[in-house]
Amino acid sequence: MRIRKKYLFYALAFTSAIVAAGVSAIDSTISNLYIPNAWAFGFSCFLVGTFISLLIVIIFSIPVNNKESLGTKIIDPSFKRIRLVRKEEIKFHMIAGLGNAVLTLGYLSLLSILGDPSTVLPFSQIVILYLIIIESITEKNMPTLSEIQSSIIVTFGAILVSISLTGSISLEAFAIVFLVVNPAWVVFSIYQRKLKLLKIDNRPNDSLNIRLWNVIFACIITTILIVIYDMFMGTGYLIEGISASIEHFNWVALTMGVTFFSYVFYIRALGIGKASVTQAVRASAVLFAIPFALIVSYYNVIPPFSTDPVMILIKIIGTILVILGIISFALAMTKAYVFITVNPGYPIDETMNKLWNIRGVTRVTATAGKFDFIIKIRIRTLVKGYEKIIRKLEEIEAINKFKWESVLKEWEDI
Amino acid sequence: MINAYILISIRPGKSDNIIRNMRKIENIEKISVVAGDYDVVVRVQVKTLEKLLKVTDKLQLIDGVKKTITQVIEKEIAL
Repeated sequence: MRIRKKYLFYALAFTSAIVAAGVSAIDSTISNLYIPNAWAFGFSCFLVGTFISLLIVIIFSIPVNNKESLGTKIIDPSFKRIRLVRKEEIKFHMIAGLGNAVLTLGYLSLLSILGDPSTVLPFSQIVILYLIIIESITEKNMPTLSEIQSSIIVTFGAILVSISLTGSISLEAFAIVFLVVNPAWVVFSIYQRKLKLLKIDNRPNDSLNIRLWNVIFACIITTILIVIYDMFMGTGYLIEGISASIEHFNWVALTMGVTFFSYVFYIRALGIGKASVTQAVRASAVLFAIPFALIVSYYNVIPPFSTDPVMILIKIIGTILVILGIISFALAMTKAYVFITVNPGYPIDETMNKLWNIRGVTRVTATAGKFDFIIKIRIRTLVKGYEKIIRKLEEIEAINKFKWESVLKEWEDI
Repeated sequence: MINAYILISIRPGKSDNIIRNMRKIENIEKISVVAGDYDVVVRVQVKTLEKLLKVTDKLQLIDGVKKTITQVIEKEIAL
């Protein structure tokens, strides 16, 4: 069956969002019915997740013809086969693994406090608030009005959604959201991106091996964290986690298997369409979480929804605010081409790498013709384009001249 | 696969019609209307140089296209 690339992109991005919402409902069921302890559940997720991810990546490594494997063909063109972690990846995997471990433990604690998956999911979107704060501190850049506006809309939207279920606010949940889940999410996403940008055997790093090794490292780090916690607090969460993994293997395997595919669909959508649109579409998981929450509520897994119209209205407004905030943040990007001519006597690869290392540069191409390089840029505002890009370009000695061409409108054959 | 950028200068007042015609041409991956020395940047993916010539030819035949500059991509790093 042939499907237009454009429809395939939307199908993948929306499937990823629906699957992510479904995962939160499965997690909520496991947390409420089988493994109420967040530490034990978190450890169990990574232990079973390692086995499941390994199995999936081995299946995707099956060769289909001389050069390609199943994974190359249907998941990620950069994927060859399952491989060992490389020396240059270890540092990034350790930090990303720590981020994933802390994030998962925080998320599961949140789920055990709040119960309702449609309340927990919007909190993950607050991560943009942190990304803006980090950018402001590390790059000495003042955030723009639209950035502040979008992050405030998302934050307040998520807070509104969290009020709606019971009509009360849990301060403990807020502390976990703001101090544990989102900072860990920032670390996880930054280092995951660093891993994706690495080149392995002259090919871009593939998403399947990144995911597999991330789960393995997260499993090791969670084990260390739990052992330390057990030693100091006199608890037995490690043993509880191991027995929960055996006892409820099917449930945990289901959530980890589905999570793996949600991630894979997301990466695949990113490979076809624009990152901003993919991110915006994925924000709809917040909306899709509501029907899933209604289903688990119907089966009495979580307390029934409030029927108070004011509470329902607050939930709807909160959900709309989160989605709107993310969409306006994701789509309000400025793009530009820079055409560059260089002086003779400088190696092309070196200049290419220098250009690639500038933040905001999404594509570097060495070309034959009037210009030596054409780079594509994606930044939030034109002011940042000057601060982040132009100053850096001026620092590269090899560059003789450059022309900045701002993109006004774009059509893409996706 | 051969990838290339084609930088296009157009006559004022014809942009809508030009873009509409460009969107009908096969092998064009992306059309960006830009502000600067050029008016439109087109990214093309073709199998052979002959096909690249055909795309350039079709672009030049569009009423209102003043000048094209083709930049063939030799090496690329992208997200």
